[in-house]
Amino acid sequence: MIRVQNLFKEFDDPRSGIFRALDDVSFEVRPGEIYGLLGPNGAGKTTCLRILSTVLRPTRGLAEVDGINVVRNPEGVRSRIGFMSCNTGIYDRMTAWEMVEYNGRLYGIPEEKLQARIKEIFEVLQMNDIRDRLGGKMSTGMKQKVSIARTIIHDPPVIIFDEPTSGLDVLVARAVLKAVATLRDQGKCIIFSTHIMREVEKLCDRIGIIHRGRILAEGTLPELAEKYKQPDVEELFFELIERRDDEVIGAR
Amino acid sequence: MKSRIECQSRGRKIEEDRNRMSWKNIKLVFLREVRDQLRDRRTLFMITILPVLLYPMLGLGIVEMMLTFSEQQRVVVILNADDLPADPALLDENGIRKSWFEGGEFDTAKLRVLAERAENPSLAETTETDIAVSIVDSEELTDENRISEKKPSRKLRRGEKTDAELFSAAYVLADQLEQLKEITKKTQGTAATESKNAAPSIDITETETKVAELATAQDQISQQFGDSGFQVLIIIPKGYGQAMEAMQNEIRTSPDAAAGMVATRVPPILVVRNSADDKSMVAFGRVQKALNSWEDSLRKRSFEKASLPLELQHPARLSWIEVAQQEQVSASVWSKLFPALLVIMALTGAFYPAIDLGAGEKERGTMETLLISPAKRVELVLGKFLTIMLFSIATAVLNLMSMGLTGQQMAAVMGAGVTNTVSLEFPGVSPLMWMVILLIPLSALFSALCLALATFARSTKEGQYYLTPLLMVVMGLTMFCLSPAVEMTPLYSILPVVNVTLLLKGLLLNAANSGHLAVYAVPVLISSLGYSMLALWWAIELYNSEDVLFREAEKFDIRMWFRQMLRTKDAVPALPEAIFCFILILMLQFVAMTYMKPDLSIGDPGLTMMRLIVIQQLTMVACPAVFMGVLLTTSLRATFRLRMPSLTAIAIGVGLAIVAHPLSLELSQFLVERQVFPELPESARQVMTLMKAGEKPTWLLLLVFAVTPAICEELAFRGFILSGLARGGRLAIAVGVSSLMFGIIHMIPQQAFNAALLGLVLGLLAIYSRSLFPAMAFHFCNNAIAAFHASEAGLLGTDGVFFSRDTDGFLRYETPLLILCAVGMALMIIHMVKVVIRDQDSKRRGLVPRFGEVLDESIDTTLSARTLESIATASKTQSR
Repeated sequence: MIRVQNLFKEFDDPRSGIFRALDDVSFEVRPGEIYGLLGPNGAGKTTCLRILSTVLRPTRGLAEVDGINVVRNPEGVRSRIGFMSCNTGIYDRMTAWEMVEYNGRLYGIPEEKLQARIKEIFEVLQMNDIRDRLGGKMSTGMKQKVSIARTIIHDPPVIIFDEPTSGLDVLVARAVLKAVATLRDQGKCIIFSTHIMREVEKLCDRIGIIHRGRILAEGTLPELAEKYKQPDVEELFFELIERRDDEVIGAR
Repeated sequence: MKSRIECQSRGRKIEEDRNRMSWKNIKLVFLREVRDQLRDRRTLFMITILPVLLYPMLGLGIVEMMLTFSEQQRVVVILNADDLPADPALLDENGIRKSWFEGGEFDTAKLRVLAERAENPSLAETTETDIAVSIVDSEELTDENRISEKKPSRKLRRGEKTDAELFSAAYVLADQLEQLKEITKKTQGTAATESKNAAPSIDITETETKVAELATAQDQISQQFGDSGFQVLIIIPKGYGQAMEAMQNEIRTSPDAAAGMVATRVPPILVVRNSADDKSMVAFGRVQKALNSWEDSLRKRSFEKASLPLELQHPARLSWIEVAQQEQVSASVWSKLFPALLVIMALTGAFYPAIDLGAGEKERGTMETLLISPAKRVELVLGKFLTIMLFSIATAVLNLMSMGLTGQQMAAVMGAGVTNTVSLEFPGVSPLMWMVILLIPLSALFSALCLALATFARSTKEGQYYLTPLLMVVMGLTMFCLSPAVEMTPLYSILPVVNVTLLLKGLLLNAANSGHLAVYAVPVLISSLGYSMLALWWAIELYNSEDVLFREAEKFDIRMWFRQMLRTKDAVPALPEAIFCFILILMLQFVAMTYMKPDLSIGDPGLTMMRLIVIQQLTMVACPAVFMGVLLTTSLRATFRLRMPSLTAIAIGVGLAIVAHPLSLELSQFLVERQVFPELPESARQVMTLMKAGEKPTWLLLLVFAVTPAICEELAFRGFILSGLARGGRLAIAVGVSSLMFGIIHMIPQQAFNAALLGLVLGLLAIYSRSLFPAMAFHFCNNAIAAFHASEAGLLGTDGVFFSRDTDGFLRYETPLLILCAVGMALMIIHMVKVVIRDQDSKRRGLVPRFGEVLDESIDTTLSARTLESIATASKTQSR
């Protein structure tokens, strides 16, 4: 469903000339699976997910969603994915219903189906009480609900979550995680980036630990524990990161 | 699951028509943005409520102020009023007689005239003494009852002086004036004796003290006048009336004898004013008018007494006839006000929504949401653009309507009160129609420009910063257009903003007789729409650029930036470096215009000018480019395209120059004859005559006019600048922009146009051959032919079919030759374009699509070197 192969992304950086945000990244995500992209801030998670959502273009390498190349047919990719991050805001001067409706129309969903779908989503996410509330007057939790509704309005086969829980209060975060799990159970192909270990342990089927633009380890949690002889994910994570840091500094 | 399948099938459909723009999406975005803006109270207020309420309220305020606070009275003091001739009388018991003023009652009410008379001895005696205010109050009543009987109980306002104080100040001033007169007389006397005796050494100090005395006296007088409390002082000399009468009698009895005496007999009336003080000038203006009409009457009396014909008063018998109609007078008011308001309002109306739609969207984080929706970038931009344009037009129209109606209303209300009222009749229907028609391209341009700027900005705050320069530029252009001397010309008709403003001004000024202006409507509309398309394209480009969309606010450290620039050199210059190089050259040219004016009086003027041209080319065109090339790039060979070209390329360069010359010459002649461009300025004509004179040796002419520019300008424009511009991979834009820059550097419109056209060919030649030398060959040949053409070498005879000579003896080219040249040029250009496209294709093929296409082989090598390096490090880490 998602295929990333030898992906490179470089930015111009005023300090060191060129900053390599992604350095030969490869992974795959299958339907009905949550792939956790685990890494500290600045590891390249967001860059990678933005390439998958076609708002950034890779410098080199291949990225495919549902068999469609993100560079050759970005519009095709965009109609097949849902993307949500802590940064994707909602409009202040639109009600929850209007917001979701607007997005649905942008995806070209026929009007009748769209209305039914919005109704269904509002039921499921228990959003009927904020239906006519303006975005500017919503709490963070409400906004996040609207964001999720917007993300899944077109029923995309692939959903990308970029640190969806960062900055949320615990209750809202829990609700978001629950929603993600439900989506997996519906057979969606989900990629989920975070730097919070607990979320990974709870939610993800497979994880990739990423740091300084490179995937350092990949597999299910038991696989990783066995491979590195380290049952504690957190310890494993820090070990890998430190090793990568030494490597980069040594190479300089 | 079902809907998922639908989604997939829909996705495939999207793939099919991915190049088609969906109006549905544009409409969707447009409607949302409009609704969003309308829900924003601030925008709504700025765009609708403010103009609708502001102008009427402003107007009401002004009317109110005009009615309640009418102009303050100004004080005029007349000393020695008794000596005025009795007939015609300047004064009556209320001051200056009403009949002398044009406005009658209106003007007299604005002046408080205090006339000193002998019947009022108490006043004359109080000259030196300070009178306590309590005493003056009662006194004031006594003399006020003469001067203004209407309001005898008038109370003095705060800070206002009593009549007695005013008179005493007037006496002091009169004394000082007397002293000044004497000092002046003395000073002039000494100066006269000095020059007579021719012994200045002794008297220098004395003269100096006199001059200093004079200066202090003058200072004192202006000080005294400022403190006096009156605005105009009129001093009637003693015995003025008698002298006048005597003169009149004398003229009657013996006209011959009187002729020489008049000036000495009748002493002048002194009128003292301060021209630096507005109040004084206002009062003086009124007094002057009254005095003039009084003088006219006096003259008439004198003529009557001397039994001379009255016609002698106006020997030239001038008579003025006013043909301006009421609507034209009001048109001239509107023609100044409306275009300016239209431009400014269209801009501000576009700007605020644009910031919200561009930078605001980024700030709120909704931009990313929008970008990951399947709507195309073009659709998003167009939806936003249309929204901004709607608000821009609405703002402009509402402002104009509100202001026009308010103006009309105000004029109607105040009509009676103001002396020279201008009826602010609204312009007719057809100018209003034009205004709306012209508003559309104007709003389109501003909307697209604002959207691009707002997209570029990281935050709404940064967006606000961009308004000021934009507004300044637009205001400057508008102000330029409003100056009465500026009229529509073909050149102005294609300049942005200027064209619309000038056309509107012309149409409003002369609505009935605007046939000749209608001709310009087509180029104005087309060029304006062209500019808006360009700006819109820029906005779309920005939406496609991830650097701009995901720009993060970063700390800017100039030292670090500079170090970075020097450290991370590339084979060819970066885009900003190329732009900076252009600006540097332009600035140097600008400086040179003021400081490098040739002093043609010394030596051979021709030689001086030629030397100057060479120096200018070397120091101001070649030097910056080469210097920047050495400093900022690693490969001079790649930057300046110093590669051996193929013989074909050189041949094409020379051939193109030969065929391009007749075409460019005839085109510029054609344009000059149709007055699209102004005549060449003096400096350029000097150069032309220099070439024409033929007194300089040919090799020198070639060196100065062909070799030097060919080398210097090519190094800069097709070398450094084009390499930098072409780096982004957009060759067509790079060539276009570089030729535009090449044109701008030539300053004179006519030459700039020519240079820009040739710049296109030169750029193509450089890209095609990957070498600078064919471009140099072209440039050299082109200039050499032009020099020979100007120097009238007479290489070719005229046969009338291909060649002819115009009235000035210049060689001209006839249509058959031009057609041949055009065909030849087209063939060569098509060939080059084909080769360039083929090269680009072969470069692109087989490569993974990457952001920022590779252009030059030298960059290829550096990139692949970088790739190798990364592979090496990768393998190293893996092995570890």
